[in-house]
Amino acid sequence: MEPTRNSHATLVDLLDRVLDKGLIIHADLIVSVAGVPLIGVNLRAALAGMETMLRYGLMRDWDEEIRTRESEYRREQKSSLVSGEEIITEMLGSYHCSEGIYAVWRTGRFLLTDKRLILYHTSFEEVLFETALDEIMGLALENELHFTGKPRENLNLLLKCGNIVRLHARDTLGLKEALEQGLISLGVCWEEIPNLNLHDDNTAKFLLDGEEVMYCGGIWHQIPSRGILAESWKPGHLYLTSRRLCWWYDFEEMIGFETPLNCITGSMTEIKELGTALKRGKALDVVYIGERGKEVASFSGDNLADWERALNEASSRRDCALTGEMETCPRCGREAESSGLLERGCNYCAWISPRTMKKELVTGIEVG
Amino acid sequence: MKIKSLEPQYTNEAAINLGAEAAVEKGRYLYCVADARERLSLGTIGIEGSEVYTVSCGDICAVVHECPAQPYESTDREVVESWVIIHQKVVDVAWERWGTVLPMSFDTIIKGESGESAQQNVRDWLKEEYTVLKSRMDKMRGKAEYGVQVFWDPKLVAENLVQTSPEIKKLDEEIRSKSKGLAYMYRQKLENVMKHEMEAKADEWFKDFYGRIREIADDIRVEKTKKAAQGLQMMMNLSCLVCTDRYAELGEELDKIDRTEGFSVRFTGPWPPYSFAGNA
Repeated sequence: MEPTRNSHATLVDLLDRVLDKGLIIHADLIVSVAGVPLIGVNLRAALAGMETMLRYGLMRDWDEEIRTRESEYRREQKSSLVSGEEIITEMLGSYHCSEGIYAVWRTGRFLLTDKRLILYHTSFEEVLFETALDEIMGLALENELHFTGKPRENLNLLLKCGNIVRLHARDTLGLKEALEQGLISLGVCWEEIPNLNLHDDNTAKFLLDGEEVMYCGGIWHQIPSRGILAESWKPGHLYLTSRRLCWWYDFEEMIGFETPLNCITGSMTEIKELGTALKRGKALDVVYIGERGKEVASFSGDNLADWERALNEASSRRDCALTGEMETCPRCGREAESSGLLERGCNYCAWISPRTMKKELVTGIEVG
Repeated sequence: MKIKSLEPQYTNEAAINLGAEAAVEKGRYLYCVADARERLSLGTIGIEGSEVYTVSCGDICAVVHECPAQPYESTDREVVESWVIIHQKVVDVAWERWGTVLPMSFDTIIKGESGESAQQNVRDWLKEEYTVLKSRMDKMRGKAEYGVQVFWDPKLVAENLVQTSPEIKKLDEEIRSKSKGLAYMYRQKLENVMKHEMEAKADEWFKDFYGRIREIADDIRVEKTKKAAQGLQMMMNLSCLVCTDRYAELGEELDKIDRTEGFSVRFTGPWPPYSFAGNA
């Protein structure tokens, strides 16, 4: 076999070599990098990998570039503002964006107005994160060891939807103070939450041997009145495990509610008064056999329908376990009741049987 | 690129001063370092027709052209490609002439700084790095880089696996005995097992091929595999540093791999040692 260097057929091989490899000169002597980090984006984004940029420490320069550009954009029109909305303060910062397996700090510019907190990416003109101030229920400072090895402060916002948002700003404390001022002038009540600990995996503290989490998510729970304490809604996380349904109280770091699966007799969603924090909204009532006979536990949050479905699945699985019609999911290998698996797909990994998929496609077309 | 032009009405003195300033701002685009003490011009063969010449220090030299202290940049793919091709042509000319070169990455431009001209900075750099550059060139002498990419046809290999793996054979038979719905599920299960087996096989073959190529090559860099066309998959992507008198041997070995059912080999080169010029 003879090697080829036909210029047309080996162009990609050539680009790989000339753009990404070759002898390297330390960066302070050369112009290709210092000061003009975007060359990496221009030339290489279309053609080659990021290796060269990382090798040169381009990302660091890039960060600095973003910082110096800050001043240029200061005077620019903030197109996303509603008329009458006033900017209280602005500063560079980032928020922790996590969706599924994707988790990253996204950097932009915080705009704190008298109505909203917005994280805006000026170059891409994109709103990275936004919340109305009156959605904020609590603030918590958190100390984190950043991957650069330096400790830094993050600001966590507890929102009414039950989500917790992690923010970091160039002056995190300053942002927090400005935010508090904004909340005061709006007449919003919020909680100062000390030492919010987001990183601990709660499940490690309560899962029993062989117990597996089937479904979990942030959700509010109505803690029943005890002694002189009136009933109140608190944020936490609900876990449906292979044995129990239990709710983890985030701030107290303890189990606030639990019941074995076979004690659950039903669940339903209803509209009800949810107290001062949440006002009126949907609540999921789980009926179970407790110490005092039939009892009800109420939960509220964004994804009640999913929870209801998960609870129903759990109970049908329990019934099927008795009749023995179980199958393992071909993708994730978890046990599930076989007809449900074939008709509705897998609850854990979202596998759907190709036949169902085809069927859905057909009905989808008919409806459309 | 903008080139500053001097306005004619300047006095001589001012023009000289400006000229001196402009000289400091200039840079030198580096193509490669060569194993030669010659000081000469290679002609106007550089990027955008620039004159390419050597800057020497002792018995090594840098092949450069004069340019503003600004990187070449463009969002036009064709423009970048044409620059890269010219970069390579210049390196080729130097390589042919002097036999041993250390090629630079595209867009390596040494700038003038703190009163030193760019030319002087190139010379200083050669001087400072002399031992490293020299020893690296010694390592490259009489050798060239070759690209070896091994592709396989996953379909062919999979068919083969169904015949040979007992686990897969059993699953394959089970599918036939199941109801239509369950058969779908078993087919997906089968796919998972196949994927595992294929990965294990790929690993095995990789080790085998790598071992055989390692015997012949002086040095190897394992590169990331890339997407391939026509239903093929790249399972191995190597840059090999090979003595010029052994490349035929490598070709023979690759022929053997190429003849294996389900496999094909892409063999490119000889390239200047781009993959080996950097960090050892």
